[in-house]
Order: sequence, then C-alpha cells, then structure tokens
Amino acid sequence: MKNKIITVALLTAMAVSLTSCGNGNSGSSGATRGAAEDDNTLNVWCWDPNFNIYAMKKAAEIYAEDHEGFKVNVTEVQSEDIETKLTTYMSSNELDLLPDIFLMQDNSFQKYASNYPDIFTDLTDSGIDFSQFAEAKTAYSTIDGRHLGVPFDNATVINAMRTDLLEQAGYTLDDFTDITWSDYLEKAKDVKEKTGLPMLTLQAGSPDIIMMMLQSCGQSLFKKDGSVNIKGNKVLKQSMEIYAQMVKDGTLREVTDNDQYIGSLNNGSVVSTINGCWIMASIIDQEDQAGSWELTTMPRLDAEDASNHSNNGGSSWAVTSNCKNKKLAYDFFNETFAGSTDLYDDIIQKGAVATWAPAGETDAYAEESDFFSGQKVNSMLIDYGTQTPSNYTGPFYYDARDAIGVALSNVTQQGSDLDSEIDTAQETAEFNMEG
Amino acid sequence: MNDRNKGLTLEKKKNLIGWGFLLPAALLICWMSFYPMIQAFILSLKSGIGVNLKFNGFRNYARILKDPTFRQTLFNTFFYLILQVPIMLVLALALASMLNNKDLKFKGLFRTAIFLPCATSLVSYSMIFRAMFANDGLINTVLKRFGASPVGWFSNAWTARIIIVIALIWRWTGYNMVFYLSGLQNIEYSVYEAARIDGASPIQSFFKITVPLLKPTILLTAIMSTNGTLQLFDESINLTKGGPGKSTMTLSHYIYNTSFVQTPKFGYAAAMSIIILIMVAVLAFVQMKVGDKR
Repeated sequence: MKNKIITVALLTAMAVSLTSCGNGNSGSSGATRGAAEDDNTLNVWCWDPNFNIYAMKKAAEIYAEDHEGFKVNVTEVQSEDIETKLTTYMSSNELDLLPDIFLMQDNSFQKYASNYPDIFTDLTDSGIDFSQFAEAKTAYSTIDGRHLGVPFDNATVINAMRTDLLEQAGYTLDDFTDITWSDYLEKAKDVKEKTGLPMLTLQAGSPDIIMMMLQSCGQSLFKKDGSVNIKGNKVLKQSMEIYAQMVKDGTLREVTDNDQYIGSLNNGSVVSTINGCWIMASIIDQEDQAGSWELTTMPRLDAEDASNHSNNGGSSWAVTSNCKNKKLAYDFFNETFAGSTDLYDDIIQKGAVATWAPAGETDAYAEESDFFSGQKVNSMLIDYGTQTPSNYTGPFYYDARDAIGVALSNVTQQGSDLDSEIDTAQETAEFNMEG
Repeated sequence: MNDRNKGLTLEKKKNLIGWGFLLPAALLICWMSFYPMIQAFILSLKSGIGVNLKFNGFRNYARILKDPTFRQTLFNTFFYLILQVPIMLVLALALASMLNNKDLKFKGLFRTAIFLPCATSLVSYSMIFRAMFANDGLINTVLKRFGASPVGWFSNAWTARIIIVIALIWRWTGYNMVFYLSGLQNIEYSVYEAARIDGASPIQSFFKITVPLLKPTILLTAIMSTNGTLQLFDESINLTKGGPGKSTMTLSHYIYNTSFVQTPKFGYAAAMSIIILIMVAVLAFVQMKVGDKR
C-alpha cells in the first residue's frame, strides 16, 4: 500500500514536471539578450514585421547614412511578451537582460512607468523636441512631467464607412460627419432597416469603443488625482447606454473574436467601423472594395468638452536604463523618429501615420488615396490627431478597463441593471487597486 | 573496510541501493518543486505592487475571502471539475474496455484516433473550437441548415462553460484511455473466460472484474484529472478569454491576470496559488482514502 502511494506520488510529480517542461520551452528562443556591447549598435525589441519592425529598420538605414557602421539588432517580441518579460526581469532583479530600446503600447505605458520606473531612462533632457508631437500622444508616455517615451504611431480614431451601402439607405458621408451619437443612433436604425446590415461590429466584452467615447470628452476611468472615476461618471454611463441601445436596436452586432471582426469588414456584412486608424490596413486588404470606403469623424457625446475625435491604441519607444550608449540612442531618435520626414514619408506606405507634426507637411501626406475615393487620408488623420483631447490613463488602466468589460457584457447579454453594474465595476476596480 | 561491509545485512544493503536509486529523483523534486513551493509561500505573505513587496502576515489570505472574482473563478473551476472529470473518466473506461476486445479489428487505428487529440497543441485546438462555435461557425451553420436558430455560444455564461467542458472531454479522454488500456493488459483474459463460463454478462464482468482490478489506475487518473482541472489555464485563456464577463475564467487564469495583465500583485497571486495547492492536496487525500480500501 505504501509503495502504491509512492508510485502514485512519483507519477503525479512526473506528470506535473513534464507539463511544466513543455510550457517552459514555449518561450521565444534566440532573442538577443541584454543591451548592445559595442558602441555603435542598439538592441531593440518590438513586434509586427510589417509595421514597427519595418519602421525601426528603415530608421536605422536612414541614420546609418550619416553614421557609418551604425546598426540595430531588432528582435521580434510580441507586445504582451515584452510586458511579461519586463515584469519578470524586474521581479527577479535581472535588469541586465533588458535591450537598449523597446516598444510599448500606450495604454500600458503608465502602468510600467509608475510600477517599474527603474526600467526607463528619462528623455526630458535628451534633446528630443517633444513639443512637435501631438499633445494627446505624448501624454501617454509622460509621468510627473518627465518624458519617458518617444511617440511613434498615430492611433487617431476614424469612422470608416461603406458609402455604397449608405447610398442604398439614402445617406451620404456628410450625414455622418461631425454629428452627435443621438443623431447617429436614429440614422443607424434607418440604415439597418433599409440595408438589413448592422452599423457596427464589435468584439464582445471588449470595451474599446467605450474608452474611445470617454477620451473624446477628455475623460478616462480615472480622475486626475488617480482615484477611480466609474461611479457617477456621466460620460461613462451615457456611453454604456448608447452601446446597450445599439445592441438592442440590432445596429451593433457583437462578434466573438478579432478574426470575425476583421472578417465582417472584409465580407461586407457591416456598414461601418469606428476604431484607431491602424484598422485601415485591414480594410485596404480587401482590394475589390476600393472606392466603396470613406473616412469621417466619430460621433460626439452630449457632454461638456465633447469632441468628434479620440484615440485608440498606438505605441511609443522607450530607452531602457540598461542602455550603455544613451547618447547614441538619443541622437538616433533625434535624427529619425523625431527629426526625419524621409522616414515618415517611407513608412506611410505601411500605414504608419506620424504623430510628429512636421511629417504632416510633406508631399507624401498630401497625396490622395485611391482606395478611399480620393480622400487625403494622411493629412486628415494628422488633422484629427491634433484635435484629440488628451486624457489620463493611469497605472491601473487595465484593472478598471476589465471591470468595465465585465459590466458591459452583463448589461448587454444578461440584461443586468446598468447602475448596479457600474457600482460593481467601481468596487472591483477599487478592490484591485488596494494591492 | 571489509568489516564494515560485513556489518550490513543483505537486507540493509538492498535497502541502501534502493534509496540510492531514489536519491537523484528525490533531490530534483526537492530542488525543482518543493523549493519553489516554499518560496511561493513566503511570497504569499508579502504584499505590494510590482517589486515593492513588504511582509504583511496573512492579509493576502484574508483578502481572498473578500474577493468576488476569486469566488467566481473558484465556482467556474469546480463546475468544470465536477462535470467534466466523471464524464471523461467513464467515457475513457468504456472506450478502453471496448478497444480491449480481442476480436476487434483495426484496434491500432482506433486507439491512435482516440489518443490523437491529446497530441494536438492546447492553443491550436482551443482556437479550432472557438472557430467552430463562433456566431457564423460550423455548429451554427449546421443548426441553420436544419432549421434551428443559431446560438450565441460565447455570449451566454452557461453555453460558454459547456463548450469548455466539451473541449476538455475531447482533448483528454484519449489520454486517460491509454492508462486504462495499459491497466487492462495486466488483467488475465482467463479471468473473463471463467466469468463467462459461470454465466456472467459483459456488464457484470465489467463491474465485478474490470473496475475492481483497475482501481489503482482509476485512482491515478482521477487524481491527475483533478489536479489538471484545478490548474486549468489554456482553455480559459484561448477558447473563451474568460468571457462573457468573468463567467468562464478559471483560477489559474485569474492568477495569471493578477500577475501579468492587471497591475502586478505577485504576493496576492502566490496566495491564490497556495490555495489551489491545498485544494489539490485535500482532494487527492480524499480520493486516496475513498479509492484505496485494501
């Protein structure tokens, strides 16, 4: 009997350790470890070969023209993995493993900058002129007045609409430009009746659109003093009511995942979408729909400081404290992402729109887009970007955002009472912040 | 030297050799499993955000009692455990006894086919299940073809939980079946023949011969499945993302979120892991007491 127990225990232990071995191997291997050793190289972590990695390599190419021998070692690391790695390295005190530069999602920036300030290098006195970037954008990577990141891609919110479908319903793009949400709801119902298609498709449980609506009024889930701003937040309540109403009207269809969301845009089962401008890359993918999409502004809420502009996503570059060639890194950014119109003119073909104002004045940005029926898309985005109100995301962004996601799905899918769900969300967020 | 060797009796010597064989594995387990467990326990007594951790006694454990998300994820995890483990083990046992039949043709083929799901990656099978049950996925298309109205599988808490259970059964039944098959090889065929001659029906011989003789294996699979289900993570994160809301999120998924998605609270996450450890230990102990009556 004793032997049996030992056998069972050993087998269990073996099974457990085998599973953990399997999990351990899935980490990315072959990643460049640590910062660059020689004084003319920078090691970089970022994701998406078609976008961020391309831009970084292009920047290195431009910089190397005047600085012989300069090179960057880019390692492809997904954004979630960068965040997990940062957390792990910080907890295990292994800051030597950090690269020179990494890219970080704007929504996560405050969380890492305030929890792990030791990771970052203060760029305030690095010579980079931050005033040339859109203010709403630099706010993400600024903490206590110190600049910890170099802003990169623009994630200005656009309302991309199928004008051919609007026409069927008797509308034009102008009917949806600079309007209010209440106006939008009525027109959406009409469009749904005439075309049978929903106005928007959104990923269920993801409160992205609520966040965009909040920012369009310069608000977030936090007050400026850092306390949770969910209960009693009129803008939030109004946004959630609009969402629930649209679900009820059938003008907003919830889909299960991102693939289905992109699919709905490409297969013509939705009239429009409101999202960060990076969504254009997926829309343009469907070449046979050229000429049927056009861009306009998102609707505005009925509130103080309401605007038709917002922001969703985007990322910024950070220089780590482990970087041994800080001067080189400063100079590199100063001459590329914060100083080269050539760079931005080149990466615009990948859909990377600048937040750096001088980039918007070049010819490349004034070009008309064939896909979007001759709209000057790039300069429009720069224009929208400068009108976007800035807001305070705070280090607890994801805790509060999760709570809102739960509230939203309870309201739309189980018909729970909105007010009590908002109260619960406030409690959940506060509970998580207690630590 | 010879004298000392003479001092050991043969039995003692054999015992020493036995312990010598055990030593490397035992040391490895201590180093790789028990040491981290102790560290995790120490961590669970600290609290704070990020790396600013301070000792605060058992406050993390008190916090667990007040955490509604913990209660929700605990409920979800036990729902999977109570529904999925019995169904899976019964199915695995039934399949194993069917495939153990001496006269069955293409035995190898069937065994491989049933075991195969277990060789697929957890992430990819989760994604396939998600695609199948999507709003315009395979299942809904079939439903529509037969005139039924499509179901929003992932937008309702209960249907989403059921999908996770179905996925788990698909993935792990074959795995447990292999344990039973190997257990069945150790049962003499003549025992069944004797029973048949005495007039036992196949069902009688299943319950009177197969089940009692397989008891150690059943115990092993029950403990392993309980252990695995309490630590369930991949399906929750990949198949449903814990949604809708948090209604399919498992404990491990919540622990991961606490450490890496939300503002990092490692102390609290460690405290929750210790709770899982205690639950696994208690359940395994109960199962051993109930299952092992010799």
